[in-house]
Parts: sequence; C-alpha cells; structure tokens
Amino acid sequence: MGMIRIDGRDIPFEEGDNVLKAALAAGVEIPHFCYHDALGSLGACRLCAVEITPEEPDPLNPNKRPRVMMACLEPAREGLELSLSAAAARGAREGVIELLMTNHPHDCPVCDEGGECHLQDMTVACGPPYRRYRGRKRTFPNQYLGPLVHHEMNRCITCYRCTRFYRDYALGDDFGAMRLRNEVYFGRFQEGPLESPFAGNLVEVCPTGVFTDALFRQHFTRGWELETAPSICPHCSVGCNTLPGARDGTLRRVRNRHHPELNRWFLCDRGRYGHQYSEHVARPLLPHIAGETVSYHKAVAAAAEQIKVAGAGLGGLGSAREDLEGNALLRALMTRLNGGFAAFSDPALEAATAGAVSQHHKAPSLVEMEQADAALIVGDLTAHAPMMDLALRQAYRQGAPLAVLHNTPTPLARLAATALTVSPREMGAHLSRLSELVADPATGSGNEAALIAIAACLTAARQPIVAGVVETLSALEIAALAQLTTVLGARARLTYALPGANAYGAALLAPTGSSTALLEAVETGRIQTLIVAGNDPLGDTRLGSRWLAARQRLDTLIVLDCIATATAEAADILLPVAAWTERSGSFVNYEGRAQGFAPVFQRPEPLPTITEVITDLAQVLDLALPDVAAVLSDVFPGYQAPAPGAHGAAIPVFPLPARIDTVSHPDRGLDHGPWQAALAAWYGDDPLASFAPALMELTPAVVARIAPVAARTKGIEDETQVMLRGPAGTLTLPVQLDDGVAVDTVALTRAMLVQLGIGHGDPIDMEIIS
Amino acid sequence: MEAILTRHLDPAKPLGLEAYRAAGGYRSLAAAFDLKPEAIIRTVEAANLRGRGGAGFSCGLKWRFRGLDAPRPRYLVCNLDESEPGTFKDRHLLYGGPHQILEAVIVAAYALQVERAIIFIRGEYAHGAARLTLALAEAKAAGLVGANIDGSGFDLKIEIHLSAGRYICGEETALLNALEGRRPNPRHKPPRPSVKGLWGQPTTTNNVETLVNVPHILLNGADWFCGLGVNGGCGPKLYGVSGKVHQPGLFERPMGTTARELIFNHGGGLAEGRTLLGFLPGGASTAFLLPEHLDMPMDFDPVARAGSRLGTGGIIVLDDASCPVAIALNLMRFFARESCGFCTPCRDGLPYLEQILAAIHAGEGRAEDLPLLEELCDKIAPQSFCAFAPGAIMPLTSSLHCFREHYEQHIATGRCPFDAANEGGA
Repeated sequence: MGMIRIDGRDIPFEEGDNVLKAALAAGVEIPHFCYHDALGSLGACRLCAVEITPEEPDPLNPNKRPRVMMACLEPAREGLELSLSAAAARGAREGVIELLMTNHPHDCPVCDEGGECHLQDMTVACGPPYRRYRGRKRTFPNQYLGPLVHHEMNRCITCYRCTRFYRDYALGDDFGAMRLRNEVYFGRFQEGPLESPFAGNLVEVCPTGVFTDALFRQHFTRGWELETAPSICPHCSVGCNTLPGARDGTLRRVRNRHHPELNRWFLCDRGRYGHQYSEHVARPLLPHIAGETVSYHKAVAAAAEQIKVAGAGLGGLGSAREDLEGNALLRALMTRLNGGFAAFSDPALEAATAGAVSQHHKAPSLVEMEQADAALIVGDLTAHAPMMDLALRQAYRQGAPLAVLHNTPTPLARLAATALTVSPREMGAHLSRLSELVADPATGSGNEAALIAIAACLTAARQPIVAGVVETLSALEIAALAQLTTVLGARARLTYALPGANAYGAALLAPTGSSTALLEAVETGRIQTLIVAGNDPLGDTRLGSRWLAARQRLDTLIVLDCIATATAEAADILLPVAAWTERSGSFVNYEGRAQGFAPVFQRPEPLPTITEVITDLAQVLDLALPDVAAVLSDVFPGYQAPAPGAHGAAIPVFPLPARIDTVSHPDRGLDHGPWQAALAAWYGDDPLASFAPALMELTPAVVARIAPVAARTKGIEDETQVMLRGPAGTLTLPVQLDDGVAVDTVALTRAMLVQLGIGHGDPIDMEIIS
Repeated sequence: MEAILTRHLDPAKPLGLEAYRAAGGYRSLAAAFDLKPEAIIRTVEAANLRGRGGAGFSCGLKWRFRGLDAPRPRYLVCNLDESEPGTFKDRHLLYGGPHQILEAVIVAAYALQVERAIIFIRGEYAHGAARLTLALAEAKAAGLVGANIDGSGFDLKIEIHLSAGRYICGEETALLNALEGRRPNPRHKPPRPSVKGLWGQPTTTNNVETLVNVPHILLNGADWFCGLGVNGGCGPKLYGVSGKVHQPGLFERPMGTTARELIFNHGGGLAEGRTLLGFLPGGASTAFLLPEHLDMPMDFDPVARAGSRLGTGGIIVLDDASCPVAIALNLMRFFARESCGFCTPCRDGLPYLEQILAAIHAGEGRAEDLPLLEELCDKIAPQSFCAFAPGAIMPLTSSLHCFREHYEQHIATGRCPFDAANEGGA
C-alpha cells in the first residue's frame, strides 16, 4: 500500500501492483493493449510508455536522464514519480501506433468492432494522424472458427491477448500463436469450430476486430445504437452478470458485465450465444386457444373462466428457470384459490435441489473457487455450470489438484490428478466411502487407491472445494456430499450446479413433495386446470410420458412461456410471455445470491410478464391478490428486491426440510438389467439455448457412448448399431467408445432420454443390431 | 601462436575418446576436482575470460554472481545456437572437436556445482550434434559423465538439445523458453536467469567458445591465459574473416590481434585493385569500422570505445565495389525475418526500415527517407523488449553515419550506382 505520482497526481497502489494496474484502477488512462486485468502484464505492445523521473542525482551517472519504461512492467513503489505526458513517452506511444498502422487495413467503416474498438481509441489518443509508410501491408487468410466467432486476421496488432486467454487462462489447446516476425498468426491449428466452451470471450478480449461475434454480425448494428441494461444470464445457476444489447425491438447480442465475485471478465458460450431463442422464428408471440390465435384479453378471459370452473381443482407449476416474482405470484394465486403448487416437474430433482439448497451457507463465490487449493468435482460440471469449470481451472493453474468422479465424459477429467468414472448406481457408495476415508484413512484397502488419493488430497488442503451437479445426483448422494464436507471441516466449501437460473429460489418456494403431490393430483383428476409457467413437464426425461398421460386427464392446460416447448405446443390456452431481457425480475443463484435484471428493450408488440398475466387473471376473477413485492416480503421476511446492476444480496433462507423420501428417488442399487443410462449434457445444453441455432450447430454427435472396457466384453465396437428401449420409445444409434464413460453405463443426450422416457441413472435395455 | 582451441580439431574426422585422451584430453577434470568450485571461479575471473557469444561479459563474474548457495537444482546451458551472420566459429568447435566441448562443460558444471547441463545446438548443425551425441555416449561409458565422475563425488547429467530453429533462440531467455517447449520469445528481467531461469531454477548460460577456454585456464593458470593475448587482450580468440577477401576462414589468434593482420595476413587481403570500404568487426549486430580502424586491436574494450562491438569476432569485409545500401538492406532483411514477433518496435519497425532501404536501393528513395530512417532507429532500439532490435539497428545507424553519401547518391540519381542488377548485397 502506498502512493505513486503520475503527472503530479497521487495514485494509490496495493502491494505487488504494477504502475499500469494502479493507474487504471484510479481512472488514469495509461494507453495500453496487451495488459489485461485477467491476463496480467506482458510487455509486448510497448504502448504503455511512461517517463520515470530519477529520484535523486545519481553520483555514478550525473547526466542521468529520465528514462522511458513500460508502466505494466514497472513495479509500483512509494515515492515513484512518473509522467504520462512527457514528450519522450508521447513520442514512444506515437511510434508504436505508427508501426501498428503500417499493416492495419483501415477498414473501420466495414469492421464490426468500429465504435467500440480499443485500437481506434488508442490510435486517436496516441497516434500520428497521418500515414507516411509507403510499403506493402502484410496480409493473412482467415479461418473458419465455427458459428460463433468470426476471424479477420489482417486487423491483428499482435497483442497476444487471445492466446493468453484461450490457452493460459481457459486452458484450451486447439488454438494459439503460430509463426513469427510480423506474420505471427492467431488461429486454430486445424480449421474448424473452436472447442473451448469459453471461446466467445475472444470477442471481448481482442482489442481490435480480429475476433468478432459471428452471431451479432448476422443482424448487425453499431454498438452505440444498442439499448442495454444490466441483466443476469438465465441459462444456468451461476448467475453471471451480463449486458444484453437490443435494437429495434430485437435482441442482438449478450456481452459480459463485470461482477467482482462472480464472473469478472468472462462468460461461457452458452450465456453469450444462447440468446437466439429470443428472436427464434418459432418463438410463441401470439396467444392461442386450441391452436387458434386470439387476443390477449380473450385468452386471459378464457383462462380465468377455466380457473373458476375448476374451483379447488387448480394447479400451478412454476419453474427453476423463471424468476422469483413469477414463481411467487403463481404460488400466491394457488394459495388464494386452494390450488396445488410445485416448481419442479421431477420430484427427484426437486428433492436433490432442496438438499443442495439446504447447504447453501458453504457455497463459495466463483472468485473463492479460483482460490481453492484442492477440489473434488462430482459430475460434468462443465456442462451444467460452465463458469464454475473456468473458476476451477484458475485453481488448477495455481497448482490445486483436481479430483473428478463422473459417469459421462467431462473436460475437467483431462486436468484431474485423479479422475474416476463411476456408474450412477455406484456413485452414492463412492461418496460415502470418501467420507469414511477422510474420517479414518487407515481403513483404506489396496483396491481403493483412487479414493484414498482423493481423500488424502482433500484432507491435506487448507481450502478444499467440493462441487456437485444436482441434475445427475440423487438427494441421497447430495446428503453424502454434505457429510463429506462436514467431515472435512469448516475450511471445506461446498457448491452445486443447480438445475436452472432460479432453481435456488424455486426450491425455496416449493417444498419437497409438492412435485409428487401435483403430478398425482393431475393423474387422479383432482386437478382439472393446470397453469404451467416457464416449465416443460412434457419434455422431462424420466417423467415426460407420465406428465403427457396426466395431461390427457386435464380439462385445461394453460401455458405461459417464451419458447415453443413440448408443453407449450400441447397447451389448450397458450399465453406467450416476455423473455428475461424484456422485463425486470430476480434470480437467486447457486450461492443464494438474489440478483436483479432490468428490461433491456420492448418488443414492437410488447408481451406481458408472468406476474402481469397472473395479476390480470386475478383481476378478471375479482380476486384480491397482493402485489409481488408484498408476496415476496411475506415469503422472505425483510426481503429487498435486488437492484439490477448491483452485486446482489443473500436471500434470507429459512431451514428447508430436506426429507429424503425414498419413494421419489428410486434406489438405483436395485437394478434390473446390466445397463444404466446417464445424461451426457454439454455446455450448450439448456432449454433456452436449444432454440439457439448457431450454438446448436456445435451439438456433439448423435451417438450412444459406452466405455471401451465394458463394450468389448459384450462384442460392441465403434459404429456398432444398437437399439435402446425405454418406457416411452425406442432409439437406434451407433455406438462411440469413450473411456470417459463409466462401466455398465450408456451416455445419452437429453433429447434421447426424453424420447426413451428414462432419466439419469435409470436402467435401460440395449440390444445389438449389427 | 600455438593453437590452443583448434589444436585437435578435425572436421573431417574428429578425435574419438581414446585419441582425445592420448592427446591430453580430459586432464582438466583432475585439475578442477583438486580446486574447490570457488577457486575455479576466482581463477576464471582472474584470467579475464570474457563471453565469446557476443556480449563480452566477464565469465568469472557471471559465475560468481549466481552465488555458491543458489537453490537446487541448478542448470548450465551451453549456447551453441550460432546464428549470427559471418560467424562460424562454434560450428568448427562442434564438428571438429566434440570431446573438447564435453570436457569444458564438465569442468564448468563442476565449478558451478550444477546437476544438469544442456547443450543447445543450432538446428542446422544436426550432423555436428550427432557427432556430439556419439562423443557423449563414449564419455558416459568411460565414467566421465554421470554419477561420481572419476570418483570425485560429482554427479552430472548432460543433454543435447537441437533447436527447432530461428536466430532468436540464441538469446539467453528465449533459449530457456525454447527448452521448456514454449515459443522462443525472450523473457522479462528481473528476475535474471541466474536467479530464476530454466523451469524457475538458477541457470547459467555460456557460449561454447567461452567454455572451451576453461579447461586450458585450469591446467595452465590465469597468468598463462592472459599472456596469450596481445595489445591487452587475454587468451586465444577464434576470429572469422569473410566477405571480400581472398581466403575467408577461421583463425585462432591471440585476443587483441589487429584487424589489419586478420584481414590482410590471414584472410589474404582484398581482390586486385580493390580498396577497403569498411568492415563489421563481429557479425551483423555491430557497427562498421573504417580503414582508419585497421590497426585497432580486435578486443572488446577497444572496439567499444570506437563505438562498435567485438561481438562474435566474425569479421565481414567490404570493399569499394560493395554497395553499402545493399548491405544495410541485406542485413535488415535478415533481422526483420528473424524477429520473434513479440514486441511492436522490432516486429513492425524492422520491416518498415527494410521497406525504406529497399526503396532507396531500388532508386525510389526520397530526401525525407534519411531523417525518417534515423527517427525510426531512435524509437525502435530503446523501446524494444530485448537486445535483438538494438542489434539490428546498430549496423544501419552506423551505415548512415559512415556511408551517408552513398544513400544520398541513390536518392539523388534514382538508381544504385554500383550495379542496378545487383540485388540484396554485393
């Protein structure tokens, strides 16, 4: 801690800061390119030249002149005096810009980056306004890097930020720097889509227009024409802060918005590119009754009529991907009318989420996860909460050993000190065994080497983190993880990828057992009218067919949603609602941090929000329903709606009864056949993002993945055709051998599980056809 | 003088272990093991052995600065990545006498008490590296490399690494990055490699010619070594003479031998009717010296006082039929091509200079090009990340100073006066 002086102005610095970092933090704009807060100093661009005033006359060098140094490489120290405006520093910066401009194509008018281009800003700020270089420019061919990132190498100023982010920070290996001299080339070693789930950050990290948003390009507008507002990503439970941009009533792009404890500078590609559902051609925009377009008021009136007719036979199903306000008001309506309410369509998921939420007080922020000195990851964290993967990569870079227990292939296994594939039916036993080994290492036996290593690693760490994926864990297994963390002691932190942006909030509103109660009430005909808000029970993996059958017993299915799910398609009355970028609301993330989002834009024909629909229904029904704020402060005493753009606040949590109800979690140990199904998700996999065509181009191959060891004993090889059979249907698929899959396990995508009507961990019939 | 370093060199058929030993090879090991590492370092320092890789830094001082109690493991790197234009001395040492190199590495490693030594060889010297590999196998088999060398209690692993290419790998910190499998960009200092070098450990790097002097210093003493030089120089030097001379070649002469002797007595002088235009004393990254400097001792300090650098001691001779502009262009083309591409001034500045020189040489130069060249040189050299660009600028700055009228003539007449068809260096 101390002070340096820049052109006579005192600037504070922290221990270990370089001059550039301290200056930028104090709002002093020292021009720079290659420095980035996430990537550190490099010293390559030579733009951040400052002139250092010598401290006192140097007897050995009486003619000592002020020297020009690079601010990013100059350690800040008490009493350091330097000048940004000195002629030598200005001349050095001007020289750098002139040199960079010798090759630059000057294509600003047609470059996507124009108007938000750091190179433009620096050139205007520092550079000569004229061009005297008469030589040829060096040029490059461009590469196809996939549907998300556009490549234009001629604009490159060789700052190395892209490769430092992609390889050093995100630990990707299919992209990097090639060649040398003024022909240094940043690209993929083989043409094709970038493999990293974080590749889109190249667009923001690149200070010029080399890497630009390929999606944004398709319906381009200049950055300054965009309407923006602080928002929260709706695609998973991490709750990254975003800045979506819209124009003319359409959502155009999503960019990062800095949050000091969660995402600081980066987003995952699901969050950045999943927004295409908003402008999808199949997005429901007009209310329907029995497939026929009607006015909003007619639809509301019809819905109200059905609600009245149902009397106490009313049910409401909220959602983990809908906000706190919508879920709370729907529940309030049900309470008012003695109807049933749930927020999850799968009781097992409801119980698992409740179990996870009950342990919230141990949840680390993303920044805290980066500082772990050991981590155990259970499940494919990368697919379910990609930014948690990125946070743990930072811990790995600092030397933290990672341990991974997984059923299906996961990118973190490659970085793990110990990676073990575990079939779903074995997971619980493995987790319990880990707790035992941590409590008493002496009980370990010879064939448990991997678990012993993991236990030892976690025990030795000072801030270990245990991370689980709720969607692929049962409530029992979640309890086992909690037990493990307890045994490890107070220093251990526990975190979960929850099944939805507001899964935490939904779990608080819908106690365990409500999902079963609601489904059974519909099945038995006790509920005649069901309102589904933002959920897709008919599209559930394990229970989709049961919900579909139950739906047949309903008089009226009323659906409120912004995407054309299977449930929305089956609605008797469909009321399209505003998406999260078109309204305000709050999500509670995996930590229990309630964060608010503000409306970014209005559609040309504005859509109602879920709360507006429910309020309108109440009005037509002549019901006195409290407003949303009142409902929320009733449920959560002392609740203050988090302001969009602020850092969010912990939501007050009352103890959740995490009853482990064995009926709703089939004990996977009791099994019928040799094979179990496992959900193989991927980082682009979520209900909203499934309507993002560009991202969906990267969907992994449509195959059934099986472990080589397991396959060969049964005569199965790569490309063998197999027929898979489930309660709801059959599928014929080619096999792909993958040693990231556990034995006796078939890794299948979500869509395949829905088609078969089975869930993660359920038994599955598999027959070889060829 | 009596040949010291080149006495037993034979590129056609280098001496195997037996023959080398019979000729007196590997005797310095016993001498080294008798002295303590501290004493060896003092002796080398007293002998005033200066680095032969180009910088001329005192070898003994470099070794002393690393410190006797530097954290382990420590490494010694023998820099055989000879890429400086006009320089072929290390090639001769490698192809002609692999065992001399190994002996030198062993005693240097002993002085520095390192666990592992790596010999980093220019990729184009693959055949020489193969010979060295055979010699290393012989030495290992004879117990001269490995555990408990000759019963001394000193363990040493030697590895031979072939560079994947490019001049910049000869830069100490870029070389370390290359060994670590990274792109060979130089590293920022501090920390110095003697503190944090290869894989973060204390690392000492010496040019191979520097190292091969050490066994002889240990066997015969610092005074003897100093006495070998002339005009204040110490030790023998492998001088190269190339360019416009009758007999280009490598000559082992006392350090401090004059340029006149090297160019005219050993190099066979200039062609009939030609006069000396000037010469680069030590490879391409030095400043031109002129006929008036012919009697200058080719040693570090005298050459530095004249505003140039001895560098590698590879003298490149130019006569009055050589176009200085073409030569400057040729050199800049080389440097622009060899830039590692890390920092802006070098990566984008050197091609800019090349473009201007090419225009001038082609007769398309303008009056403002000369002050522009000087302005760019003034900005490029001080702002670069490593010493590569300053080395690239030096011959150009010196050429503009010494041969300015040639540039002016190209610009004024719109053509190269020497030979319009003569491209890229006469």
